[in-house]
Amino acid sequence: MTFALFLKVLFSAIEQGTPLLYATLGAIITERSGVLNLGVEGMMIVAAFAGFFGLHLTGNPWLGLLAAGIAAAFMGSLHGVVCLVFQGNQVVSGLALTILGLGLADFLGAPYIGTVTKGFNPIALPWLSSLPVLGPVLFTHDVLVYISFLLAPAAWFVLTRTRWGLALCATGENPQAVAAAGLSPLAWRWVGIVVGGFLIGCGGGYLSLASSHEWTHSISAGRGWIAIALVIFSFWRPGRAVLGAYLFCGVSAFQLRLQSAGVLQIPTWLLDMFPYLLTLLVLLLSSARGKGRAAPKALGVNLEPGA
Amino acid sequence: MHTTQPLVSLEGICKSFGPVKANNNISLNFYPGRIKALLGENGAGKSTLMSMLAGSLQPDAGTIRVLGTPVRFTSPRHAHNAGIGMVYQHFKLVDSMTVAENVMLGQEDGFLLHPAKMYASIATLARTYGIEIDPAARVEDLSMGERQRVEILKLLRRESSVLIFDEPTAVLTPKETEQLFYAFQRMAALEKSIVFISHKLQEVMEIADEIAILRRGEVVEEFDRESVPDKTTLASRMIGRSMNTEMHRPALAPGEEVVVVENLEVKGLQPLSFSLRKSEVLAIAGVAGNGQKELVEVLAGLCAPRQGNVRLLGKSWKEFFPTPPKVNGLAYIPEDRQGMATCPDLSLVDNLLLTSREIFTEGMLLQRSAGLAATLQIISQYDVRPGNPQASGRSLSGGNLQKLVIGRELLRQPAVIIAENPTQGLDIAATEDVWARLLEARQHAGILLVTGDVNEALQLADRIAVMYRGKFVDCFPVTDAVKVAQIGSMMAGVAYR
Repeated sequence: MTFALFLKVLFSAIEQGTPLLYATLGAIITERSGVLNLGVEGMMIVAAFAGFFGLHLTGNPWLGLLAAGIAAAFMGSLHGVVCLVFQGNQVVSGLALTILGLGLADFLGAPYIGTVTKGFNPIALPWLSSLPVLGPVLFTHDVLVYISFLLAPAAWFVLTRTRWGLALCATGENPQAVAAAGLSPLAWRWVGIVVGGFLIGCGGGYLSLASSHEWTHSISAGRGWIAIALVIFSFWRPGRAVLGAYLFCGVSAFQLRLQSAGVLQIPTWLLDMFPYLLTLLVLLLSSARGKGRAAPKALGVNLEPGA
Repeated sequence: MHTTQPLVSLEGICKSFGPVKANNNISLNFYPGRIKALLGENGAGKSTLMSMLAGSLQPDAGTIRVLGTPVRFTSPRHAHNAGIGMVYQHFKLVDSMTVAENVMLGQEDGFLLHPAKMYASIATLARTYGIEIDPAARVEDLSMGERQRVEILKLLRRESSVLIFDEPTAVLTPKETEQLFYAFQRMAALEKSIVFISHKLQEVMEIADEIAILRRGEVVEEFDRESVPDKTTLASRMIGRSMNTEMHRPALAPGEEVVVVENLEVKGLQPLSFSLRKSEVLAIAGVAGNGQKELVEVLAGLCAPRQGNVRLLGKSWKEFFPTPPKVNGLAYIPEDRQGMATCPDLSLVDNLLLTSREIFTEGMLLQRSAGLAATLQIISQYDVRPGNPQASGRSLSGGNLQKLVIGRELLRQPAVIIAENPTQGLDIAATEDVWARLLEARQHAGILLVTGDVNEALQLADRIAVMYRGKFVDCFPVTDAVKVAQIGSMMAGVAYR
């Protein structure tokens, strides 16, 4: 593999990995508060539609992004009502959310299929993009990519170095300890759901605002599920989420290039399987849990009523 | 006796759970710089009382005053704010976080957390009170004693002035107990008020300044430690000997031996030998944690004997337990009604079938209608309330659940009954009911009664064995008045002869 090919793959990895990164970070925040979220796929696609629709109405991609985030936060709140208010099963509720979201987005979006919009466009950052070698790879993307560069460290900082992060993560580990400290685990779970949902929505919005500039059917294409796998891959830590998102999309991009180059006599559908095989492999490996890799202890466990 | 104002005082506190009076008209004062022990048997109401002080339960009647001002705690948070904190037996810690993070949770210095600064400030706090801890260690790597220190630091960080400990030494090694008591003294020296719940006489004598004795929900006595000459006196005061009613206990001629234990050894048990005859009640009296649990686990078939012989109904342990007889066998009435004896989420019928399914099967099929009929019969015969056989086990109070359990176990006409603290937490009426049933069952069974309640032993037993540190201190007929008078000191492990 030539170095130029590597740079091209890296460029696509960043471009394709950004929506995954947003969604994974969002899901990490939700799950660190102890709420299992299997509804990412549904939240992303509804957000993608809301983003597209917001942009279509206002012409302003930032308003589209806001609409996307709010839509996903709202979807997450449905999950919150089921799990936090009515103590429903988090697995079932999450799956239902995905099914609901997929149906809802395709239903609402049906009249707009093929509608073209003007979303976010790549901006080459002055000076930075002219750095040698990595400059063009890192700094000739759209603005949401640049935000995502800052987002992972910011998420890490908030989770580990602030009062809020401490309370949120403690809620995911042992809600009783949080209650004993005079804080409300319920409130922190809502924070996890809404803030995490907003970020998942940004990931969904990216698909219709930046990745493509037109509305299509099934635009999320399973990325929500990949994000859930990446949450586990990253051991619920924002730093590793960056690695996971770019690695997955890098492998994806790499196999696409292999296909188009036609170098290897391998059936394309085997190559198509590649990223998913990698996901499975990673999940297998990461299930050999060590210290500091375990899921939040109270993940998926509902709060005792009145706690 | 005190010149200072109490930090907190309780006045006429009452609390009932259904018909059970857990606390009845309790008044206590807690002074700064004093260590107070609440002493009493299991189920005497100590934990209930402290839960009200810590705000997790609300009293039905009575007043809690903080520095003379009446307060109402509707949540632990209110109690925290008033300077009252509790260290529970089950720690509430985040295992994957560091000591410092656990202590800081909810009471951080500012929005941003600096690990190094956090460690330093926790280390300073710990040093002030003579507590040894590494603030950077993860809780999951700590021993139980160290985890307890984290809980204490949480309270100290909050500047709690009254610290309540629920049986704090239960999980500690002797060395850790020593360190805890040192911290108690340091805290008392710094004008904190320490309250600890215990049923260990030795440690109460060692560390407490004041002792209050609870029995059946009431403070029966309160005095300074100096006024008690020794453990024996304390033991007799704790146990008391006041009972309103005497059970009618017709004498039955003892039958053949149903349980024979020879030199039984398991972990926590010294070589132990005794036998139990049909129509006889042998009470094993003792403070909890002296090997009773280990003994019962062997006899109930939960745990294999390591050494020695156990013969049940003439068969060895290994022959008996793979296929215990369906009827006229062994019945076990566990102490843990809601966890071991019943499944809280199953209906009463299913709970009945849990242990008696063998007599309600035909071929492979379960005869649920017969089970239902038997449940209904127990409900009417034992007056179980609510009387709905489809109600969940959870919906029954402890006393009603216990009646169901006893009815269920007696269905099979067992020849051996092992009953562990069968009346713990029950009100007087239910207690007498349970006692009457057990005495009736002597017709067909030998009963091994494991109890911490000496009254219960005296009411029911033909013979009493007192257990201390894994062995019988003595075993004597209940008619031996001299020995009976010494039960208290035997339980406390004091040489008595």
